[in-house]
Amino acid sequence: MLTAVLVPESLDAARAALADEARPLAGGTYLMPRLNDHATPPTRLVSLRRVGLDGIAVTADTVSIGATTTLARIEDDERLAVLHSCIRSIAARPVRTLATVAGNLFVRQPYGDLAVALLALGADVEIRGGAGPRTLPLDRMLSAGLAADELVTGVRFDRPAVFRYHKAGRRRFNSASIVTVAAVLSVADGVVHDARVALGGLAPRPLRCEPAERALVGRPLDEASVRAAAHAADPLIEPVDDAYASAWYRRRVFPVHLRRALLGH
Amino acid sequence: MPSQIVTLTVNGSPQELIAHPSTTLLRALRENLGLTGTKRGCAQGACGTCTVLLDGEPVVSCLVPVVTVDGAEVTTVEGLADADGGLSPLQQAFLDNFAQQCGFCTPGMLMTSCALLRRTPAPTRDEVDEGLSGNVCRCTGYEPIVAAVLDAAGRTSAEVGS
Repeated sequence: MLTAVLVPESLDAARAALADEARPLAGGTYLMPRLNDHATPPTRLVSLRRVGLDGIAVTADTVSIGATTTLARIEDDERLAVLHSCIRSIAARPVRTLATVAGNLFVRQPYGDLAVALLALGADVEIRGGAGPRTLPLDRMLSAGLAADELVTGVRFDRPAVFRYHKAGRRRFNSASIVTVAAVLSVADGVVHDARVALGGLAPRPLRCEPAERALVGRPLDEASVRAAAHAADPLIEPVDDAYASAWYRRRVFPVHLRRALLGH
Repeated sequence: MPSQIVTLTVNGSPQELIAHPSTTLLRALRENLGLTGTKRGCAQGACGTCTVLLDGEPVVSCLVPVVTVDGAEVTTVEGLADADGGLSPLQQAFLDNFAQQCGFCTPGMLMTSCALLRRTPAPTRDEVDEGLSGNVCRCTGYEPIVAAVLDAAGRTSAEVGS
């Protein structure tokens, strides 16, 4: 039961309102279904819709996206074409119009495909708390979480040379993830020099997969190295059973989707 | 926290309503304003039948606490036809293509299609499939709905949703 929905108009006002045992509400596409569907205890929400954290800034090298920027706004911004295959793999337009970048960092798997992409992109998360602003790599934030008085204010990443994204769902459009793979690769003279690989659908949270990266670096990008990368990732993944796929199925098809993501076939 | 007054412009008319914190945009439209064309399906954001245009963009209205969108412009299915009740080209295309059976999904299908055609006036079949992927229909098998949207685009894309 919602007992209050506050709509502050500044970040400071939002943080003050959150101090009163309230939860932040961004797009509501994850939180509201749970509030609509269950007899929840009395809940106070602080909407971030009007706090002024939306916006996109793109330079030659970097991309900065405000926390409450909607997925639809990214989809409509030609400068962010690198993210478009990811965004279009998430839900459908009437949900993407509400869903936000920062919200996507906090949803449970098998949702949160943008978080997987941002993890591969090596994104930093900008955070505001009582001690002032700080910046944390996304993989650290995903494992450590935030302090109670902190809010994400934005994400930032360097524009990649080569970004690969592949998602397997139950159907072509609008499905949660069975397996999601995102990767930033740097390949020169036929050899992988650098790789950042992130996985979705295969663990309780988006997974940066360093063993797979090590299996790729220094080798040609081909079937053998990708197979080795999948093998290296296997001990790290902890897929679960859900309505979309069984844990067994996810583990079984993961190497196929890693190959499709990295080699395109 | 007490209820509060929310102001919306709905289908071009200014409206004022009293909303409890838990009142969604969907419920405000149906129960406060009597605009029952917008349907409540899953209340999870998964079926699309409650889709309306919020400041011109399609949203699943079941997930929006109405107090967070005070001052917004909303278009519902009741706002598609012209003042004399004449159907919009999109609505007429749905009628001509038999794009509804039980009709429960139709308002959401119309609003999502309306937004799709504004963004993409001449969509491909694939773009219509993708555009409607968040709207569930359990009767038609989707083919007549997709045909209606393509038909509407071919008729007068400029007029659709006007």
